[in-house]
Amino acid sequence: MTKYGQAFAVGLQSNLVYRWNFGVRSVFWFFHLVVVYILWGAAYAGNPSLGGFSFAQTLTYFVVIFVLQFFIGAFNEDYQISEDIRNGLINQFLLKPINYFAYRLSVFAAARVVSGAFGLLALLVALPFFRGYLDLPHDAWRIALGVPAMALTAIIQFSIAYCFGLLAFWFLEIQGFVVLSMAVENLLGGQIVPLDLLPHGVFNVVRFLPFFYQAYFPAAILTGRRGFDFAVQGLAIQAFWAFFLVCLAEVVWRRGLRHHTAAGG
Amino acid sequence: MISISRYLQIWLASARYSLVRATMFRGDLAIWATVELFWISVNVVMVAVIYSHTPTVAGWSLYEMLILVGTSMLIQRFLMGFFWSGIFEMGRNVRNGMFDFILAQPGDPLFMASTRKLELDGLLNSVVAAGLVAYSARKLGLHPGAADLALYAFMVACGVVIHYSALVMAMSLSFWVTSSQGVEGSYFTVMEFSRLPREALKGVAGVVFVWIIPAVVVSNAPAREILHGFEPEWALGLCAATVAWFLIAVYVFRRGLMRYTSASS
Repeated sequence: MTKYGQAFAVGLQSNLVYRWNFGVRSVFWFFHLVVVYILWGAAYAGNPSLGGFSFAQTLTYFVVIFVLQFFIGAFNEDYQISEDIRNGLINQFLLKPINYFAYRLSVFAAARVVSGAFGLLALLVALPFFRGYLDLPHDAWRIALGVPAMALTAIIQFSIAYCFGLLAFWFLEIQGFVVLSMAVENLLGGQIVPLDLLPHGVFNVVRFLPFFYQAYFPAAILTGRRGFDFAVQGLAIQAFWAFFLVCLAEVVWRRGLRHHTAAGG
Repeated sequence: MISISRYLQIWLASARYSLVRATMFRGDLAIWATVELFWISVNVVMVAVIYSHTPTVAGWSLYEMLILVGTSMLIQRFLMGFFWSGIFEMGRNVRNGMFDFILAQPGDPLFMASTRKLELDGLLNSVVAAGLVAYSARKLGLHPGAADLALYAFMVACGVVIHYSALVMAMSLSFWVTSSQGVEGSYFTVMEFSRLPREALKGVAGVVFVWIIPAVVVSNAPAREILHGFEPEWALGLCAATVAWFLIAVYVFRRGLMRYTSASS
């Protein structure tokens, strides 16, 4: 087993310790879905479709968005990285032949396996309530393109969280930046409203931003909100952003290390 | 037994300390004020997007809904500004024994714990939330009189007390549960319902979130005061909920306090 495989295994164990936190998060998720159901149900009352989509399609979109977050969303990786830097724990990685990005990515993957399992569990509990409202298309190409889109989304989400965590090289407190970016990411990532309901001009700008590929894009492919051509084009743009953000993470890491002072014995 | 004027003196001293602290960390204040502003904007954008596709939601027009959302935000900003930091730290202080410091202070522990810090960023953004309510009322051609505004302010204060009580109850769990990190999420989840119009909740949700947990009443009652004038049933319902929730919160806190074993044990 490689060293990153070991990191993944240790990550699995340490995240299982926090299984109750993920369980509680799943309960919150269910209540959040109830709010979405009530709000959008009221918006759809008397309207068979909004923006060309039915209530079932929109509710399905939000359910998929929430489940995806459990599998590929970055929860508190930025905080963990900033704590490593602030507490000096990062020093141990500088002395060993370990790539910190790869190590953190392994731990992130392990955490998502655990949280994903809880996400599925929450979905199974919620399914009897929402089954009648779910409307998933069955095209095989949606799975074929949706899975790589999900993988790239995970890399984008992790890389952004990684870069924010590295801000701790320069700033003592980064939580303000993190919550600020969370507001932007939630809105432009399509977690607040499906982005296809935005005005056409705004949508055409937003689709070139990395946030678009943080949640909306894979959910739109899987739930049938976008067609094949759009998905293929989007996948290319998403691959560019994933590559760009991984490179940016490396640049920020190198520049941050120049600011870092390792103290202690 | 110390008098109300003594408590006022203590609170003013805490407020003065918080102001000095905020001016020492101006960058931090600016970032957190921007964070709060962004989250208000996210909610406004969500409402605007929904209403760009439908004229009403549960019988509420765009500007009526903005009064509701603005009121909900106003209550939450006041809670954040006056009480959040103190109550949030309570959980951590109970876990690590630092709550001894609160118990050693000359006053009621709940008062001392929850009024230690003022957060200026939350209070600054309460102006933005109030501005949203005023702007929406103006767009609706409403001209509430002094009595209506006084009643609105009173109802907002009642809402703050209910939010405060909910948060105290959530954080009091730390007296019983060792690992209650993230429990504040339960407060945010429940209070998400306060941005929904009463008419949108039907069936079980209408019973639970209107009558059992007054999340909907908290924001709907003051918003309706501005929109429709004095409605005795809403005002009385809100007052009753305020008294009941505050008493329950104090009871839960005191029961929890009896379990506190301090740092020395």
